[in-house]
Amino acid sequence: MLFNSLQYLVFLPTVFLLFWLTPHRFRVPLLLVASYVFYMSWRPIYGILIFGLTLANFLLVPFIEKAVEQKNKKLILGFTVALNLIVLGIFKYAYFTMDAVKSTLGVVGIDWSAPHLHIILPLGISFFVFEFIHYAIEVYRGKPVVKNFLDFALFPSFFPTQIAGPIKRYQDFVPQLHIPVKFKWEYVDEGMQLILMGLAKKVLIADNLALVVQAGFTHPEQFSSLDMWMITYAFAFQIFFDFAGYTDIARGSSLLFGYKVPINFNLPYIASNVSDFWRRWHISLSTWLRDYLFIPLGGSRGGKWLTYRNLFITMALGGLWHGAAFHFLAWGAYQGIVLIIHREYEAAMQKIGVHEKLLQSKVYHWASVVFTFHVVCIGWVFFRADDMKIAGQVLTKLFEVPTALMHFSASQLAVLQIRDPIIFPALVLILPTLMVSTFVVNWLNNKKFYQSPPWAVQVTVMVALMCLLTIFTPDSSPRFIYFQF
Amino acid sequence: MGILRSKFFISVALFAVVSSLLAIVRFGNIAPTDFPIRTWTGWAVEDFLSDKKGRPNVVFLGSSLVLVPVAGVDADYLKRPIDGSHHHQSQYFEDQFKKHSGIQVKTFNFGLPGEMPSDAFLITKFLLKGEKRPDVIVYGVGPRDFMDSLLPSPAATDPYQYLSRFGDVTSHKHLIAPEWDQRLNFELGQLFYPYGHNYDISVTADRTVTSALDKILPAPKTDKPYTIAERRLLFPQYKQMEIGAAEAFFRPTTPEQRTFDNANMKEYKKRYAHLNWRTFTHQMKFLADLMNTARDRGTQVILISMPITDLNRDLLEKGTWDSYKKSLKVLAQSKGASYLDLGDSKAFSITDFMDTVHLHSGGGAKLLDILAEKAAGDHRVMSALDPTNSSIAGLKGGQL
Repeated sequence: MLFNSLQYLVFLPTVFLLFWLTPHRFRVPLLLVASYVFYMSWRPIYGILIFGLTLANFLLVPFIEKAVEQKNKKLILGFTVALNLIVLGIFKYAYFTMDAVKSTLGVVGIDWSAPHLHIILPLGISFFVFEFIHYAIEVYRGKPVVKNFLDFALFPSFFPTQIAGPIKRYQDFVPQLHIPVKFKWEYVDEGMQLILMGLAKKVLIADNLALVVQAGFTHPEQFSSLDMWMITYAFAFQIFFDFAGYTDIARGSSLLFGYKVPINFNLPYIASNVSDFWRRWHISLSTWLRDYLFIPLGGSRGGKWLTYRNLFITMALGGLWHGAAFHFLAWGAYQGIVLIIHREYEAAMQKIGVHEKLLQSKVYHWASVVFTFHVVCIGWVFFRADDMKIAGQVLTKLFEVPTALMHFSASQLAVLQIRDPIIFPALVLILPTLMVSTFVVNWLNNKKFYQSPPWAVQVTVMVALMCLLTIFTPDSSPRFIYFQF
Repeated sequence: MGILRSKFFISVALFAVVSSLLAIVRFGNIAPTDFPIRTWTGWAVEDFLSDKKGRPNVVFLGSSLVLVPVAGVDADYLKRPIDGSHHHQSQYFEDQFKKHSGIQVKTFNFGLPGEMPSDAFLITKFLLKGEKRPDVIVYGVGPRDFMDSLLPSPAATDPYQYLSRFGDVTSHKHLIAPEWDQRLNFELGQLFYPYGHNYDISVTADRTVTSALDKILPAPKTDKPYTIAERRLLFPQYKQMEIGAAEAFFRPTTPEQRTFDNANMKEYKKRYAHLNWRTFTHQMKFLADLMNTARDRGTQVILISMPITDLNRDLLEKGTWDSYKKSLKVLAQSKGASYLDLGDSKAFSITDFMDTVHLHSGGGAKLLDILAEKAAGDHRVMSALDPTNSSIAGLKGGQL
């Protein structure tokens, strides 16, 4: 069931009404049933998978708490984490591993024909497996276990966040289930505003940009260097609005039941360096990677080179988490490398002693924002390309830009030649608008505008969005990008 | 805070008001004949409604089962390539029928790829009337038209997208939108103007933006303008059904060139899998309504069970072929239609087919020969074509 479908338009209000008409003690079971209906509407058989993993974690993790000796705690934790990772590995990385083995054997002259396993990636598996691992590690670190099975079962399966996060923390989520909240119209107002905003981000912006991006990343040879830069910018905004749109709908849907789930984005494209970017982009994943991968690997405790090693491994594995393909691994590795370069740059600037002065300068700050945006965009090429070959072709095109700019003429731009679909020439106006709007939103944020926007503004925006969405929502909108992870 | 102070519910109320206002001014509405994308349907409708065409006596309806052989025969007969976007007649049939009956008729071929009985019904109801009312409808059907499991609903075809804009289809909404979500979608479209007319409004918006951008950011002059072929390479999924003028030709063939290929077996296996009897009965209902509409207007229907190969017929679930044939026969009899059963006729062999269902031009000529002879010998057809027939003449050129 997609958030942008008629099924969800019926499902959400139905669950909402039942939830608020039901006494508090029956609400968790109700949401649990609804969440399984939501999940199993896609492939009923995979309901067994999420239930099986839930049961296994619910039964295993208390042994970590009960174990007296640290060695035993570690052993049970290792077993629990391994179990979750094996399930993830089978469903997500089996083909990738077999391809890698086949290629390796091919190098030494062995022709191995890999079996076809007929595995279909279960929706949301990367997200709920990470939630289980988080739970096991937190209990290992001394946090209490969840005693009630229904509460625990709802934690990974909660339908608003089930398919593409945000990756929740059980200490934040489970206690909310015990608060006997009373219905407030504010829940509806805030929740529906978020849902409408999320749908608009997805349907009106991301899906339109997707047309351009699809063409550019399928046939880069048809576009000039300047075109490819615009197409890469378009993807930067497509993936942001697609995923941020999904998160808004997830948060809005949760809010309708009085529950809060974490934010995932904080204006990532105004980040002034790559570290800052990762504090603003997919926050629930980056903090998960920090807490359950980077820190267990040793974090920053072992000196410069060990820190860099840990950073690189964390980001490379983070890339692989997005998808079982070399281009995702390359994207993660690229993020690791640019984070290391950034740390080296900061250290060098501090050594020279100009860093403080530069930081205070607005010119430096905005130049850093623009530079960081471009560093991130180059990374997006690995992320979006279907394979490393296409990524190579696109990157080659991108780095031809100095030559293209030296003898620039509008006729170089295929985006101006292609008049149908109209999004191509419109890109020349849309991209600057999206860039400027980021700064406007930031400015409004700083002015605390979003804490109490005027009543009339909220209503006008909602009516406008309802009109635009009813007109421009296509019969079949593409799935959210993060559904594949 | 009560519901009356909820910003969301106030927004919903205001949205309903805005929606009603947009409906009153018919915001963004475009004429049904204004086709933003030229598809087989668009070309056929435009050609049919053009004044130059006048009133056809005989209209062919059907899917590609009808379109392909009828147009293909003319390519052979006229010895020149036939542009599918503009050639909508059957010269061959006109001449054969004259040979058998002595009457010169004017034909129009409304065969469209994927046309279902629901689409044929809409063509009949909305277009084959008044000054464009034909004397005879020849409707060729195949089992796929009633049991295509790949079709989510009658509203999913390209012809429906265009034809439904020519009139009110609410009387058939239970057939057009049989699933609850399809029905909800339909009802929401009726309730909220912007949703029900989103296609028209988005086309108008697209044209406005295009016109503005052409002024603000004109396409740079270049030796190599962007072509539709390039667009298709870049966006294979975009405007998939579009057909340009002089783009789809039926070319003359010799008997040696007419070869058989069973490549569409896999496709038909999927189409016939998991037969949905509701689709079958709904499409039969559309066929019955088509016949009722035609009968009320004094148009004689010739229903043809089109020839298909044994290979294709064997893909059908047990019993469905018999149900299909029986339903057609009973329906034709009860509605006073002429029935030509060629489904498993011995007159056609596998050498008459280009694939498991489509006759090639040679097979098409055989079909039109049989049709011309049978039609000329059918007193109901001849009576419908007779301008002096008083029971019909009163309807000629008139609205129902």
